[in-house]
Amino acid sequence: MDNMKHIYIEEAKELFESLEKSLLVLEKFPNDKTAISEVFRIMHTIKGSSGMFGYTNITQFLHNLETIYDLIRNEKRQLSKEILDVTLQSLDHLKVIIHDDELIFGNNKKKHNELLITIEFLINENGAEKTESIIENEEAVSSLEWSTYYIKFIPSVEILKKGTNPLYLIDELHSLGECIALPRMKELCSLELTDPSCCYTAWEVFIASNSSIETLKEVFVFVENECTLTVSEIAPFNLIADKTFCNTFCSNTLEADFINTEDINEWVDNQIQNENKQSNSKAITVPKHYTEIINQKEKSITSIRVSSDKLDELMGIVSELVTTQAGLKLLAENTNNMHLDAFSETIEKLTRRLRDVSFGMTLIPVNTMFGRFQRLVRDISYDLNKEIDFVTEGGETELDKTIIESLTDPLMHILRNCLDHGIENAEERKKKGKSPKGKITLKAYYSGASVYIQVSDDGKGIDLDKIRSKAIEKGLIQHDSIMSDKEILELIYAPGFSTAEKITGVSGRGVGMDVVKRNISNLHGEISTETEIDQGSKFSIKLPLTLSIIDGLLVKIGNVFYIIPLSVVDKCYEVKRNELDNFNKLIVFDGNQIPFLDLRVEFEVHEKEPLIQHVIVVNNEDRKVGLGIDSIVGEYQAVVKPLGKHYNGQDYISGATILGDGTIALVLDSNRIIKRYKINHLRTEELV
Amino acid sequence: MKKRILIIDDSESIRELLGNALENAGYDVIKAIDGKDGVSKLEEPNIFLIISDLNMPQMDGIEVIKHLRKHPVYQFTPIIVLTTESQEAKRMEAKEAGATGWMTKPFNTDKLITVIKKIIR
Amino acid sequence: MTQLVATEKGILKSYLTFQLNEEKFAVNVGQVIEIVEVPNITKIPNSPTYLLGVINLRGSILPVVDARIKFGLKANEYTVNTCILVLQLLLDDEQIMLGALVDAVNEVFDVEQEQIQPFPAIGTSYKAEFIKGVIKDKDQFVFILNIDKVFSVMEMESIKIVQENIIGTDKKENQKTVE
Repeated sequence: MDNMKHIYIEEAKELFESLEKSLLVLEKFPNDKTAISEVFRIMHTIKGSSGMFGYTNITQFLHNLETIYDLIRNEKRQLSKEILDVTLQSLDHLKVIIHDDELIFGNNKKKHNELLITIEFLINENGAEKTESIIENEEAVSSLEWSTYYIKFIPSVEILKKGTNPLYLIDELHSLGECIALPRMKELCSLELTDPSCCYTAWEVFIASNSSIETLKEVFVFVENECTLTVSEIAPFNLIADKTFCNTFCSNTLEADFINTEDINEWVDNQIQNENKQSNSKAITVPKHYTEIINQKEKSITSIRVSSDKLDELMGIVSELVTTQAGLKLLAENTNNMHLDAFSETIEKLTRRLRDVSFGMTLIPVNTMFGRFQRLVRDISYDLNKEIDFVTEGGETELDKTIIESLTDPLMHILRNCLDHGIENAEERKKKGKSPKGKITLKAYYSGASVYIQVSDDGKGIDLDKIRSKAIEKGLIQHDSIMSDKEILELIYAPGFSTAEKITGVSGRGVGMDVVKRNISNLHGEISTETEIDQGSKFSIKLPLTLSIIDGLLVKIGNVFYIIPLSVVDKCYEVKRNELDNFNKLIVFDGNQIPFLDLRVEFEVHEKEPLIQHVIVVNNEDRKVGLGIDSIVGEYQAVVKPLGKHYNGQDYISGATILGDGTIALVLDSNRIIKRYKINHLRTEELV
Repeated sequence: MKKRILIIDDSESIRELLGNALENAGYDVIKAIDGKDGVSKLEEPNIFLIISDLNMPQMDGIEVIKHLRKHPVYQFTPIIVLTTESQEAKRMEAKEAGATGWMTKPFNTDKLITVIKKIIR
Repeated sequence: MTQLVATEKGILKSYLTFQLNEEKFAVNVGQVIEIVEVPNITKIPNSPTYLLGVINLRGSILPVVDARIKFGLKANEYTVNTCILVLQLLLDDEQIMLGALVDAVNEVFDVEQEQIQPFPAIGTSYKAEFIKGVIKDKDQFVFILNIDKVFSVMEMESIKIVQENIIGTDKKENQKTVE
């Protein structure tokens, strides 16, 4: 049961999130009918499961809240900002008390009662009667009296051709109450004239049930045009329990004519009169199998919920499998056994597929994260008294769940900055001829093996002069440093830099964009900024699709193996050691001059140099750079594991992988090596 | 033996959602990405039920129904069409062509299972 | 290969002593996962000297530090006794595993809390925050290490050093930066 509760809480949390989303939609478009019914539906779902799991306070609370939305849904009530505010507050409260349904904590109890009173007030504002009627209605449904109905069902001859089996419909009636079904086959003619694809049978059914007449008609909803159907109530109690009734009407002869309903009515009337005379009201018997059916009513599962621990474990196992498979491949290659080769190849293919499938499971749409921001932006813009149009695009873009988890904080920070410092207040905007309403766009999209996430605002932009003077003041740069605009802009990511003149509650204290940048770097992502005065700013985050498994090129430098991600590799060339011009750091391939970086030199490798070296040309931002290595081993599917926190500073080795024979290969981040090299190089030039 | 259900829908998410729900409910599921694919899947044996979208590229749901009702093996096989609130006319057209039942989107998969249990046993 | 099993972590009275050069140190066995022989260590280019590299510990990547350099002691040649302590420690509220290369592992012994003497910060070359206390074993002092602290400080230093590297300081100076 505890496990089930866990599932309930997980589900509820998800529903809360969807609820929040719909509520925020309603805030923008208060007349959006689908959003209203969505809100109602979600509340109803949570209420339902809360009831099942014994969360009585939550159930009751949601019931009241739902009442308001039922009124709105039925257009008996107008949705107001007040209602929305209370609903959002209630939502926050629910998120808390889902862990404290008994309201053990005093604060929760206080808040609970306050909200209940407010909700009550909102309901009653519209007149008390309507609320009551809702409650009455619900009660009416649950305690509906047993009645007996007569159903005449004459399917059209063609009904079988629509894929309907009329017997199932009769079966379904059986599940709704106590039932006597009488087949009538008068239409059936001699065998040789019978078309087996036609239906010649009709039915008369007496059913005692506590379902409404609508529910019974519902059974035939799919065939309403393919049959003649009569459903009528014949007695407000269970007639089927009455033996004399059965004996009188339920003669089960196939050729019998249809029963005349007037006869039944007459019989029933007599019966009631008799009973009244005897003045002992007959006890209504509840058919036994009915209660059984209630108990059997099971909820089937729509999707499987897997705990992230299990998913991580799965990924771990897949990683090990990939490593083991590499070992097998190595063995097969060295053993020279055709059968082993074949097996190894099959296993390689299967492993690859398994890897892709499991990897796909860890991808989740960024929407899950965007939803939270909707709320954040709403709350903050209220606090700041700024009107914001917050637009999200590309929410369906999928990213590794671990990346999404670690991305929330940095993005939140950027959004806060946009809201607080980027977007001007309404008067200022009006003066500039802008719409008083600020706009912030959060956008996600794929590009190659990367995902881009962009936050842009149409605010005042970043004042580079201000940045510069601030950086000088903070001692980050010299007052006479010559820097490009791009470099100045980069300063906002420098540790200890903050342009906010005063620290506001919104943008937080202490943590700055440097932390944002570091968090994104930890995800092997990059952040860049574009800005234009009075036009706004754009922050672009580039992220790898996943962190765990990459296709790479296995190379060797000295006696250490390295992996270069295939996604960046452009071409490989063979060169003689003495052809390398380590002075100008340029190399010519196919008539193109390419900057060149000898990793032997960079990594201070002292082992003997091979005569023939290889140069891997990689794509670096918008150009190509050659990386000198000793030898190429081949393509390799690498399970990237982190080097551990102690190597956090080692940003150009993005991780390590274990090869088939247990040796470790280091995964190179070529962009970072080149960047780092550029810094060193620049430095030497300056010194010269 | 598990009863086999053919899902025909051009939306992958719908296919997966329904497929998942049906598999959990103990059915064997095969999926087709549009009407044309769906009709080709009728080569498979033991299909007890077909669930088909109406608006699809290649061949729409109505055509699938018409095709099905002429099929030597599956002419009596139930077919449930997926419609939306606004497709009343389309629904009638489907019914006319020989659809067994319909589900109005969006719906919850529990409801679908209930409906399926009405139609196949 | 010895495997030490920690029963109830934290409240164990057992300590593992090890040798760094001539000095003797101890860690609570609760934080020692296992002791392994020195395998092939893959060196990470341009990293500080005390970060020896990474090893393959049954499919996991384990960073290894040279505890001797960390404590400002001379790094001897590897002997048959040289081994790696696989430690579990708390770094920024996160449990991580780290290998520490030591010259030799001596023994495991039980110490009552009362037997542990406070660390006299004066007259030794170690900062007080690294050492939980001192016990006297025969005529030698054994320093009980606060490994969470020892390696958390190292973490910060490592970042500092790498940043210096990037700007291109002479790498040989790194050794001096490490106390």
